Amino acid sequence: MGKMSISNLFNLLLQPFSYAFMIRGLVASVIVGAVCAVVGIYVVLRGMAFLGDALAHAVLPGVALGYLLSGGSRDTLFWWALAAAVLVAVAVGRISKHAEIREDTAIGILFASMFALGIALISTVRTYSVDLSHFLFGNVLGVTTRDLILTSIFGAVVLLTIFLFYKEFLVLSFDPVLAATLRLPSGLLNNILLILMALTVSVAMQTVGVSLMVAMLVTPAATATLLTRRLWQGMLVSAAIGAFSAVTGLYLSYYFNIVSGSAIVLTATIIFLLVFLFQPRRGLVWKKR
Amino acid sequence: MYPHIHHQPDQPILDVLHLSVTYDGRQALENITFHLHAGERVAVVGPNGAGKSTLFKVVAGVLPPTSGEVKISGFGPRGHICIAYVPQRSQVDWRFPASVADVVMMGRIGQVGFFRWPRRADWDTVHAALEAVDMDPMANRQIGELSGGQQQRTFLARALAQEAELVLMDEPLNGLDTPSQEAILSLMDKLRQQKITVMVATHDLGQAASHFDRVMLLNHRLIRFGSPQDVLTSENLLRAYDGHAQLIQVADGTSTLADTCCDGEDEHQ
Amino acid sequence: MYRKLSRPLLFPGLLMAALFIMALPACSSGTPTATGGKLRVLATNSIVADVVSQVGGDAITLTTLMPIGTDPHDYQARPQDAAVLTDAQVIFSNGAGLESFLPPLLDSTGTTGKLVEISAGITLLPLPGSNQSTGDPHTWMDPNNVIIWTQNIAAALSAADPAHAADYQSNAGAYTVSLHDLDTWIRSEVAQIPTQNRLLVTDHAVLGYFATQYGFTQVGTITGSFSSDAAPSAQELATLEDKIRQTGVRAVFVSEAVNQALADQIAADTGIKSVWIYHATLTAPGGPAASYLEFMRYNVTAIVGALK
Repeated sequence: MGKMSISNLFNLLLQPFSYAFMIRGLVASVIVGAVCAVVGIYVVLRGMAFLGDALAHAVLPGVALGYLLSGGSRDTLFWWALAAAVLVAVAVGRISKHAEIREDTAIGILFASMFALGIALISTVRTYSVDLSHFLFGNVLGVTTRDLILTSIFGAVVLLTIFLFYKEFLVLSFDPVLAATLRLPSGLLNNILLILMALTVSVAMQTVGVSLMVAMLVTPAATATLLTRRLWQGMLVSAAIGAFSAVTGLYLSYYFNIVSGSAIVLTATIIFLLVFLFQPRRGLVWKKR
Repeated sequence: MYPHIHHQPDQPILDVLHLSVTYDGRQALENITFHLHAGERVAVVGPNGAGKSTLFKVVAGVLPPTSGEVKISGFGPRGHICIAYVPQRSQVDWRFPASVADVVMMGRIGQVGFFRWPRRADWDTVHAALEAVDMDPMANRQIGELSGGQQQRTFLARALAQEAELVLMDEPLNGLDTPSQEAILSLMDKLRQQKITVMVATHDLGQAASHFDRVMLLNHRLIRFGSPQDVLTSENLLRAYDGHAQLIQVADGTSTLADTCCDGEDEHQ
Repeated sequence: MYRKLSRPLLFPGLLMAALFIMALPACSSGTPTATGGKLRVLATNSIVADVVSQVGGDAITLTTLMPIGTDPHDYQARPQDAAVLTDAQVIFSNGAGLESFLPPLLDSTGTTGKLVEISAGITLLPLPGSNQSTGDPHTWMDPNNVIIWTQNIAAALSAADPAHAADYQSNAGAYTVSLHDLDTWIRSEVAQIPTQNRLLVTDHAVLGYFATQYGFTQVGTITGSFSSDAAPSAQELATLEDKIRQTGVRAVFVSEAVNQALADQIAADTGIKSVWIYHATLTAPGGPAASYLEFMRYNVTAIVGALK
């Protein structure tokens, strides 16, 4: 293989961005990747991966209902998705308080029933089914400027809230009893965190879709927890990995003709595996000796 | 953030009146009444599942009583942030990404307040607390890297940083070697000097007898509360331990051994 | 004055009522008796149904499986469909792989009706740019193919119902004349488009037969497949945009049930028009494409208007 000159490399990196859809897709997926990754730290630390998956699927009936009521307008779908996600998030928060059912059972029931409801609603609106499925399986390359604006605004809202409540969420996650003795409004804070998850899921839905949502929430964050020892460091590393996976995934999609959403997730997973196996001292490869 | 509730010096710091707690259909605590004064050091003993953790959580304001009252310096516990609960080490997530200093600072966020960041003075308090427990050099270690004794001291430092006036310690001496245990006990002397009231749940009856002002013998009901000689009689112990204890005669007196050990899994977590 | 239902009976009573109500639709879609002895015919989609009704006329009772507006690539059969299938004596489908849900459905319902694929005899076009073995199912985009449809339908109906064979043949003849007229009209319309503008970009490979018959070039599709379901990769999109810019394509044609947002974005980015055409379904009566002939006229008008 011949030597690659700097200008060749430059070309390789810049060429995809002569297309407007690549630029928009890149910005959207970097924002989504970073926001999911930061929220994902809480998901990983608090064992909420199943909840994240449930929220992603629970969005379906909201979107279907929105389609039915708005006559197919794509603009309002985001808000319907958000409403459905917030509803389920708060419902889970409520159900968890009543300890008769275990939390994962409650989530499982909500998850399945919401999804089934969504399918039932969709099947009454035959003409729009495929457009809906694009919404649910992600459409990075079809991101409009308006989508970008919504993504940026809500992404910023999520990050800002995490920043503002950093120490309270920290205590809530590490030691709920301390939170109670310090008289923190734990119920409210927990609901805020759940709503942040719902927001993240709605924003990420358009770019990554239902099936890949959990991966974006969990994988970069899991990698970061292997590499860092303090929460804020974990968040920064996680965001970096999320953003990097997004960029790399899009390059892979461009040069190797792979569907973008999957390319992003696969990149994140490979990074995780590399860290898991090879990280200094703690990597699995070293432990086997 | 929270208005400081003024503690009257002549009032008992803790009043528990006819406290009952029913949890999951079981009666965890039944009609408990007692009073503590500032600076007292009290050991709470009883078999597993006796309700020691439950009692601490109700006093700390984490669990609501089913009936009865808890008063801190004459007020209900809800307004105060001066009660510190030091958890059992087995209940802590040691893999959580936090350093020693992070954990101690967590105790102070009540003072720091919403939407504000810890100030210089807060960090000074944290380091002072760490120094008091001899942990300042370890401030940046991740908590999973600590020994049992160091872990315990970290949480004690957290209680100090919280400026707690009542510290509830749930089985702090479990699984520690003797030097570590001695270190904790001597720290409790320091707490007494600052007029901080301490309640310690423990399985070690010998230590309860030798290091504490009063002993509370608990098994869902308050069996007896008073001086160690008063409480730790064979009769009381047999009643409390429901036959789980064995009486052994030793040359200079009797010692009792409880034969169920230390995991507290029956109790309310 | 209130009458109280005894409490313990209330819940089971409501449950029974609910179950009963839910079961009712199943009752009503049971096998109806043959109406006046007419041949019972089922068509899979609205386009097939329209052509079948032109040939069958009043001599048949025609039902359509997929409602107007449905995307056949994506269709999932429902229990009521099974009931309708078992009832039919002749089933007309487009064939050529369009109704992939049909064979397993026929198997499981054990239909005795005869399945006739009306695209039989049409040479299928391959997917542009590849040697795929499956062919382009959108045969109706060329009216000359629909003439073959008409012949196949007439033959099948005559075989199933010889009593009316003469009617079927004469209806088929009349309709074939209309189709020839349509073909002539299309040629005159298309002649208005300068040759260099006869370039088609569609959301998926819909217009193959139209392009071949009337002299258009298919520059590319958003999803490189016959089905509306696939999603393109970044490379595919980039290639498409390059081609659009290089060849001077003037419009991208989108149809119902495909990712219109993506098509609109591509159009906006490359500065071309995004134009709606119908692809696999008619509109409701009174709409712009209520019959096959109107369907083709609408589409051709849209294409010519965009590319002229």
